[in-house]
Parts: sequence; structure tokens; C-alpha cells
Amino acid sequence: MMDLNNLTITWLALPLLVGFGIYLFPRVDRPFATLAALGSIVYGGSAIARAEPLTLTLLNNFGVSLLVDSLSGFFILTNGFVTAAVILYCWGSDRKTFFYTQLLVLHGSINAIFLCTDLMSVYVALEVISIAAFSLIAYPRSDRAIWIALRYLFVSNTAMLFYLIGAVLVYKANTSFYFEGIQNAPPEAIALILLGLLVKGGVFISGLWLPLTHGEAATPVSAMLSGVVVKAGLFPLVRCALLVPDLDPLIRLLGVATALLGVSYAVLERDSKRLLAYSTISQVGFVLAAPPVAGFYALSHGLAKAALFLGVGSLPGRDLRTLRTLKLAPWLGGAIAIAALSICGAPPLGGFGAKTLTLDTLLPWQVIPLNVAAVGTVIALSKLIFLPWNPYFAALKLPFQGAEDASIQASHSGDLGADAAVLSPAAGSTVAAATSAPAPGVGLWLALPFLLGGLAIANGFYPQAYGLSSFLKLAVTLGIGWGIYGLLPRSLPLQLPRTVENLDHLIGAMSLGLVILFWMVMP
Amino acid sequence: MLEACVFATILFGFFGSVLKGNLAMKIIAMDVMSTGAIAYYVLIASRGGRLTPILDEVVAGEAYADPVPQAVILTAIVIGFSIQALMLVSVMKLARDNPTLETSAIEQSNRP
Repeated sequence: MMDLNNLTITWLALPLLVGFGIYLFPRVDRPFATLAALGSIVYGGSAIARAEPLTLTLLNNFGVSLLVDSLSGFFILTNGFVTAAVILYCWGSDRKTFFYTQLLVLHGSINAIFLCTDLMSVYVALEVISIAAFSLIAYPRSDRAIWIALRYLFVSNTAMLFYLIGAVLVYKANTSFYFEGIQNAPPEAIALILLGLLVKGGVFISGLWLPLTHGEAATPVSAMLSGVVVKAGLFPLVRCALLVPDLDPLIRLLGVATALLGVSYAVLERDSKRLLAYSTISQVGFVLAAPPVAGFYALSHGLAKAALFLGVGSLPGRDLRTLRTLKLAPWLGGAIAIAALSICGAPPLGGFGAKTLTLDTLLPWQVIPLNVAAVGTVIALSKLIFLPWNPYFAALKLPFQGAEDASIQASHSGDLGADAAVLSPAAGSTVAAATSAPAPGVGLWLALPFLLGGLAIANGFYPQAYGLSSFLKLAVTLGIGWGIYGLLPRSLPLQLPRTVENLDHLIGAMSLGLVILFWMVMP
Repeated sequence: MLEACVFATILFGFFGSVLKGNLAMKIIAMDVMSTGAIAYYVLIASRGGRLTPILDEVVAGEAYADPVPQAVILTAIVIGFSIQALMLVSVMKLARDNPTLETSAIEQSNRP
């Protein structure tokens, strides 16, 4: 019988060992990779079940310190589920062992983040995550993939340099790198560390690098990035908020601001994958808004968002205007709708319990803005729920919608070449993409039920959510959201500019963020 | 004084990575910034003294440098170096189709 400490360390090293091991034995890459991910599911589940937290200090005072409690359990469970689903999704594809190696290295370093309680281990793990995510994004080797990956690495490495400077200031004040030391650290140290974590976690304006990266990466990679990689930046923030009570109000405020920013972008977005990426930003806000219950929300969001990315990635095209005129396979459209409903907070899925629990744990000043954000989430995700996968939705014609859809439909039914002038250049390119999009493979059949089943099981974590008041609240939120969705014209004339997503602006915004954070943490 | 020089290095690197238009220059500027961060660790390690912290024969009254930031920054140097290498390789790949490496041009051609 191995004791718990050794078990934890073995489990922590397992994905890395398997990851490099399968590189030597490429024939067994997928089964072993799945086993490593399943190991994390088991470990995460047992960490939630175990009541008392486990603290580990390796070596001595200056060594690495680890903490396993139910919060880390939920995050580890998310990581295990999403990684396993991504491997299953890729099962039928012709991706090489290199891909799975990087995936497992990413998985292992994210696991490490969820245990660490000192700044330096978090730094090392975050940088390994950057490198592994870079290799995954750049895997197709096309110019665009390399540029997106390079942009991601550049932004995150610059942010981590700020973090590194903050970490040494904490060391200077405490002669240790433990999270608790942040309490005695000068305000500039806190601002620098927060900036690094906010950029990695995709929070507020420092998270605006996220839509392009998550939208343009390959389908399984975006599922991984949106499902768990952003949580690697969030977890240290949540942990700090719990360990250092002074930071708690600031983190909550950032959460609310992020939730509102994300939904306002998501409501106006026409591209399905970018819509999901903006929705990730807003959900990140919900996770931060209530640090004590962040784990459960992160789990339900991670599962649902990974399922959405895998499902939407298999649709024939990305422009929502084009998608609305096609006829989708009912099982695919249905799976997307279920995952989207979970993020909106509908029972009997994990999202219902998570949203109820989060909204119940809010401070009074947070309640109104977060409920507004919840309604905004419903409006944004309705675009995916009401895709024409079921005959009723296809026949559904809402006000303002008829004329535009008819024109697109006409150009579809007619000869594409002759009608090309009718279509805008953007719509034309989506049609071209639609013909070349690969058919959903067998992997999707494995991954989607796995993730949706996980969501259904996650529903059991908070049975207290089933009460009259939460049902009423949900009915009002859904009612208002769907009402506004029905009344809004299908393609809003307003498009938010994308200039802020330029690399220069992203890096420049960091200096701005640093000044604002410094001003906020000043005692 | 030394601290001011270190911060100047960090700031020069940061503004270089914002203001330079050429992608390769941006990456070099980021390396300058990381050099500044590393120098700051070394500076903080030498608060108490400058002697190499190796336990040899104990020299009485000599002040040793703090070994912890030095050990920690070694890891960061290795990580920074590998990230630099990865980025420069991608720049080489990108240079094939964008010989000028103007960031705005690359951004324009790779936008959805």
C-alpha cells in the first residue's frame, strides 16, 4: 500500500513519463495517453471525496509545496475529462505521436499547477504549458498556425516576465516564494503577479488575445485551450484569493468585469468559434466571481466548452449566417444544444448546479451584474441552441430575420458560380470552407457522449440546487434571454473593431493593465 | 543605482517589443527584457553579500550571496532560452513567405 504522498508524486509524474514513453513506442500512443488521462480523473475524484486537504512540502523550507483539496480535485477532474475526450476525438485522425506527447506534457503541467502553492513552481509549470500549447497550435505547420502560435507564446512570455519580477519582490519581502507571502509583499509585486496570471487566464482586457488563438487553432486544440489551459491561469488566482483575504474583493471585481466584457463581445459575434472563445472569457469571469466555489464552475464549464468546440468544429462552416441556412445532423445539433444549455445553466446538467451555487455565493454588490451576464450568456449561446438541427427550429422564422435569410438561401439553392456576386466575400469564403470541411469522424462519436455524460454526472455534486427558487430564477433568465434573442435582428449591423487584438496593442495593454492593477492594490 | 539600471533594461526591452515593427526585433527586445529580469534576481540575491554561496572552507566574516534566487533564476534562464529558440525557429518559417517580417503585414495576411 503506497502512502498518499508517494501516490501524489507518482501521479504527478505519470503523464510526463507516459508522454515521453509513447514517443519511443508510437504504436501504443493513444491507449496509453487515454490511460494517463483516466488516471487524472480517478485522482481528481478521490481528491474531492477525501474530506481533509493534503499538504506536501518537498525537500525543506525552500522546496516545492503542494496542496491537494477538493478545489484542486475539481480542476484536476476537468483536466482529466477534457484531455481524455480530446484524445478520443483524435483517435481516427492521422495525427502523429508527437501530438499526443505534447498533449500529455500539457496535461501533466496543468495538473502540477492545480497542486502548487508556491510562485516558482507555478511559474515553471505555466511556462511548460506555454511551450506545449505552442507546439499543439503550430502542429499543422501552416503559416497561419505558426503565426497564431507565435503570437500566443509572445504574449504569454511577456506576461510571465512581469510575473517573474513580481515573484522576486515577494521573495525579497518574505525570503520564500509561498503564496501566503503575498500578504506582506509591496503593492507593485502584487500588481506584477496578478498581471501575469490575468493574461494567462484570459481575464478582462488582458484576455483579448484569446479569441483569435482559440478561434483559429485546430478543433481539438481549441477544446483543450478553452477547456483547461485558461484554468491554469485562473487556479493560482483563486488559490491566492482564498489564502490571502485582502485579494478576495479585487479578484471578485475582476471576475464580474470579465463576465460582462465577454458576453458583450459574444452577443455581437457572427463567427461560431469566436463566439465560443468570447463565451470562455465571460465564463472565466463567473469562475473568479465566487472563489470558494470556483472548482465546480470550472468543471462544468470545461466539460461543456470542450464539447461545444468539438461539436462546432465538425459543422460545415463557421459563419453563423451560413450555418442557419443549412440542415444539420440532428444528433450533432442536439449535442451542441445540450452543451450550450449547460453553460446557460439548465438542468439536469452540471451547469445548473454550478451556476446556482455560484450565484448563491455572491456578495450583494455582485448579484445584479452577474445576473445580467447570465442573461447575456443565454442570448449569445442561443445562436447555437437554435441552429436548424431540428425541423421545428428550421421552420422557425423570427421577426427581422426573413429577408436576409431568404437571400442567402436563394444564393445557396441557385448556381453558386452565378450567384457569387450576391454573397459578400466573407460568406463566399465560408461556402468554400464548407465544401472542404472534413466529415465528423468516429472520434466525435466517442468524445461527445463522454463529455456530456461527465456533465450529467457532475450534476450530482450539488443536489441542493434543485429548489423552487433556482428553477424560477433559471426560468426568468432563460425567458428574458430568449425573448431578447428573438427580438434582435439576426445579424447586427454593429461589429466591434478587432484592432485591439493586434499584437502591439495586446502587449501595450499590459502596461496599461499594470498601472490600473497597481492603482487598485494600493492600500 | 544598479537597481535603476536593471529597471531601465526591463523598460527598454518592453518598449522595444511594443514599438519595433519587425518581428525578429520584437523577439530580441523581449530577450533584453528577460535579461533585465534575470539581472534583478541576481541583484536581489546579492543583498546580503557577494561571495559565491558554496560551502568550502568557512571564511569568517564574509557575507555570502543568497543562493535561492540564483538557483531559481537558472531555471528561468533555461526556460527563456528554449522559448527564444522556439520563437526564432517560427520566425524563420514565417520569413519564407513574409521576407520583410513586418508584424502588421503578417497579421493582415493571417486574419480570418
